[in-house]
Amino acid sequence: MYKSAHFSEYNAVNGVWDEMYSDNSSIRDHYQRVIEYLSKESTDNLNKKEDLARRLFMTQGITFTVYNSGEGIEKIFPFDIIPRIITASEWNFVEKGIKQRLTALNLFLKDVYHNQFIIKDGIVPIDVIYSCPHFLREMYQVDVPHDIYVHIAGIDLIRDEHGAFYVLEDNLRTPSGVSYMLENREITKRLFPDLLPQCNVRSVTEYPTILYKNLLALSPRQISNPTIVLLSPGIYNSAYFEHTTLARLMGVELVEGRDLVVNNHKVYMKTTTGLQQVDVIYRRVDDEYLDPLVFNPTSVLGVAGLMSAYRKGNVAIVNAIGNGVADDKAIYSYVPDMIKYYLNEEPLLKNVPTYQLRNADEREFTFANINSMVVKKTNGSGGYGMLMGHAADEQEIEDYKKEILKDPRNFIAQPTISLSAAPCYIQGMLQPRRIDLRPYALCGPDGIEIVPGGLTRVALKEGSLVVNSSQGGGSKDTWVLA
Amino acid sequence: MLSRVAASFYWLSRYIERSDGILRMMKINYNSSQDAVREFTWEPVIRIYSGVDQELMRTLDNDSRSVLTYMVNDKSNPNSIINMITLARENARSVQEHITRDLWQCLNEYYHCVKDDGLVPRLQNEDPITALDTLIRQIMLYYGTAEVTMERGQGRSFMNIGKYLERSIQAVDLLDVKFGSVTDNPDLLTDTTYWKHLLQSIGGYELYLKTYRDGIEAQSVMELIILNTDFPRSVIYSVNNIHRYYERLKNESNLSSYRDIAFQIGKLQSYIQYSSAESIRQIGLHKFLTQIKHDLFAIGISLNEHYFANS
Amino acid sequence: MPEFKIQHITRYTYDGMVRDSANQIILFPIVDANQDVLKHDLTITGNPLVDTHIDYYGNEVGSFTYLEQHNRMVINSEVLVVTHAKELPSETTPAATQWQKLSALQNIVPYIDFLKHDYFDALPDLIAVIETEKQAEDTPYQTALRFCEYVYRNFEYLPGVTTVETTIDEVLQLKAGVCQDFAHLLVLMLRLLNIPARYISGYICPNHNGMRGEGATHAWAEVYLPDYGWLGIDPTNNCIANETHVRLAVGRNFSDCSPVKGVYKGSWGHKLEVKVSVEYKDQPTAIIDAEKLPSNSFIQATEAEEFSTNSYQRYKEAMLLQQQQQQQ
Repeated sequence: MYKSAHFSEYNAVNGVWDEMYSDNSSIRDHYQRVIEYLSKESTDNLNKKEDLARRLFMTQGITFTVYNSGEGIEKIFPFDIIPRIITASEWNFVEKGIKQRLTALNLFLKDVYHNQFIIKDGIVPIDVIYSCPHFLREMYQVDVPHDIYVHIAGIDLIRDEHGAFYVLEDNLRTPSGVSYMLENREITKRLFPDLLPQCNVRSVTEYPTILYKNLLALSPRQISNPTIVLLSPGIYNSAYFEHTTLARLMGVELVEGRDLVVNNHKVYMKTTTGLQQVDVIYRRVDDEYLDPLVFNPTSVLGVAGLMSAYRKGNVAIVNAIGNGVADDKAIYSYVPDMIKYYLNEEPLLKNVPTYQLRNADEREFTFANINSMVVKKTNGSGGYGMLMGHAADEQEIEDYKKEILKDPRNFIAQPTISLSAAPCYIQGMLQPRRIDLRPYALCGPDGIEIVPGGLTRVALKEGSLVVNSSQGGGSKDTWVLA
Repeated sequence: MLSRVAASFYWLSRYIERSDGILRMMKINYNSSQDAVREFTWEPVIRIYSGVDQELMRTLDNDSRSVLTYMVNDKSNPNSIINMITLARENARSVQEHITRDLWQCLNEYYHCVKDDGLVPRLQNEDPITALDTLIRQIMLYYGTAEVTMERGQGRSFMNIGKYLERSIQAVDLLDVKFGSVTDNPDLLTDTTYWKHLLQSIGGYELYLKTYRDGIEAQSVMELIILNTDFPRSVIYSVNNIHRYYERLKNESNLSSYRDIAFQIGKLQSYIQYSSAESIRQIGLHKFLTQIKHDLFAIGISLNEHYFANS
Repeated sequence: MPEFKIQHITRYTYDGMVRDSANQIILFPIVDANQDVLKHDLTITGNPLVDTHIDYYGNEVGSFTYLEQHNRMVINSEVLVVTHAKELPSETTPAATQWQKLSALQNIVPYIDFLKHDYFDALPDLIAVIETEKQAEDTPYQTALRFCEYVYRNFEYLPGVTTVETTIDEVLQLKAGVCQDFAHLLVLMLRLLNIPARYISGYICPNHNGMRGEGATHAWAEVYLPDYGWLGIDPTNNCIANETHVRLAVGRNFSDCSPVKGVYKGSWGHKLEVKVSVEYKDQPTAIIDAEKLPSNSFIQATEAEEFSTNSYQRYKEAMLLQQQQQQQ
């Protein structure tokens, strides 16, 4: 066992799965080599590395923008230099589990917008679907290329005290953060030269190549050089950096809604030499804003008439429109049933127990046990609008209950899950902090591919369970060992 | 190239060029205000960049420090440096994957220089010329970086068209305002300090001295600023460059749009080229300048329609 | 077997040149056992290619774009429709059985969509009204007629007092509105009692003058009655909507059925004028030239908000807000 200055204080949290330490306080095999490497580095050196990381992020402009009274402030997403390590066998399991889940979710989307077998057979209650604001009747009977709805998924995973993987959320609309997976790896290469190959860490650099290949395969026009664009809300979006990164890495045009126009049910981009037909749109604009003619009429981010071009199959849109019905938090509880129903398989990844507040008895139960519950909005994301029962005061709880009663369908509750912990380099010492994992799965005509890695988000505040960047979260490089 | 991207290149340059013009103007005018305490007025400068506004003139009260702060740091002034650089930077940000990282960093630095909390105190309490020089240097750095690093493609053409269009409009405005004052006050016509000052604000004093050996005369000043092809801030020099960079946009797929604007630029170019100090005097300087300005604006409008998809 | 010749003109006039317009029209009368379309001529400024599809509710929806600069757009729809009166419910089933049958529809497509309502502030007040108005022994049919009359008697028909964006809360407060508001309100009241109810847009074609809703597009409600099917009731005129009501579209509410909507680029305000005229078989025809119609001959006319000076700022604000939309 290695004990250098920055390790002496590491105290694994009781009753929490620690990624580095096993129960008897010994370092797990897959962390050995990294710890050995780190032990040889002085605190001074590690501080320098931390500094270098921060500088690299800043100068390379890897920032997100936070708006405050109309003025944009660029911030970096805090980065912890110690990688999070996943063994080959753990990854194998996660990969299989996500593929299984995604296969079922894709079948569900196709079904719910066509024959609705799953509703007729009573597997998913009809009112959960029909009351979901993201169930878009505009998508009914619309055929999408290769029947793929979810081309890009970010599945959020957490581990309980026994190390078992749970799915916390399926992100099937416009999952973000993949650029941090790529950038974090680039930074690690600079911080710890030669360590990656020594540890047999699998590469993540293929992500843009696979995504581009999949986008290309969706082109409705069978031409050698179809036009693929990345549709961004624009420079004020917090993920704008990611949009430019992905566009650059794939060599596709970064466009905004005002660059596109629909004519006779085909989409064109406005160029200095006239209109150029667009075949595939990787959009990072939400459904609601995508077509002001069909959805939110006040949208200035979308393209009027896009839905008609899409319906006619003249343009492919990634991810498909209407996916929100599958990653709604009220639908989430039925995903294991979907897997059984469509695939006739037992789900590999577990679901966190979820209470549907539209059901009176589950609502009562939740209210009675609110201190050990997390209550979430069914259509929320980014850690906004949540109630953390254990941390909220009485007034907050009362106010939140009132909100719930206005429209209980919009809320679910889950028991507070104890996320696993991983060592982080904080104030010159290694300290355990809670983490989650978001691998990115790409679904194309050849099947589902998951780049070995993902975004590990970390709650940098001691004791905190919220990993969202908006709530003081950071990230780590994520290593999957070969 | 996307129309919006082309438009961003064009506007990025126009804002940078305008900020350059304003800063140089501020510097020289401040300097002159130190020479001639009583007669000096900021009125023409304000008129060029903020129009005729009595209320504003009263508020600023011809106080150099107030004018400097207003022109550099006042967010309510649409043409203040802070607004110019913010707009320039936003345009650059939306075409970030089309410009070099070096250029982006230059702009970013310029932006942070203007946003620096120390700037206003320096303008108000210390030597303002030092403060203005810091900013002017940022722009020179920007132009150098653009020249050295930017790919020689369409983007750069739109950048240069924007730059020279803005520059020619500024030269025209400056002449119009300065000569306009002569109508009200004919004594100015023979006031050499007045003309020297004008030449300095546009950076043409030294060239003037080399070109015209018999002292400063209004007629020659006008000739230099409009017709001298070697003077980088003359109207004809800018229009020649608009023409030069526009020609590079010639492309098979939009020939009719191309010809339309090429004709407008060519016509304007010939109009100026085949003018002389004498012919301008016959037409009347104000009328002449008004015509040129009208044509420059028309070119801008046509670019917007044919290349920028009205974005 | 009435036969109607209906001309429906929609005219947009813009204050300046606009372009890149994209539009959606639901102007194709429903074809079923009670209604047939003999002829339909549709002419649109610029002769764009209109593509049609059947939407989720079974309506035929057309869409078209018009990119070139323009300062007016006219959609002229001339349609020859024949209607057949539908026999009214005979009401042989006992009331209790009928209510039972309705409650079994709650979780069945398509009724589920016509039983849902969103939360609004005055919900408890409206429930109280329903409790007072409903009669214990009434059948669903009788309830529908009773509520129809309630809306008719208690709400004033005041064209112009509301817009397409007026909420139910506002209508309840105003105690006034137009056909669209009345249809919304009636639909909502019926849904609260578990009677499937849907919104209908169309034309009213009485063979005597004086019905409300003439000269423009009309709206009413349809209720689902056990052992019968859908029945139209018109709270604006307090009558059954039968062979004198020509149906264009069905949906949950107005926005599912909006006859004409469009989006364009250009920072200009616009004026929208709508005129519907109905002629009967064997009457002399006098088709109107849609392009030349003077403004004062339109019944529905709305001016969009004045955009002029601050439209750019508004656009920038919307841009700034929306671009900051949450990311997953």
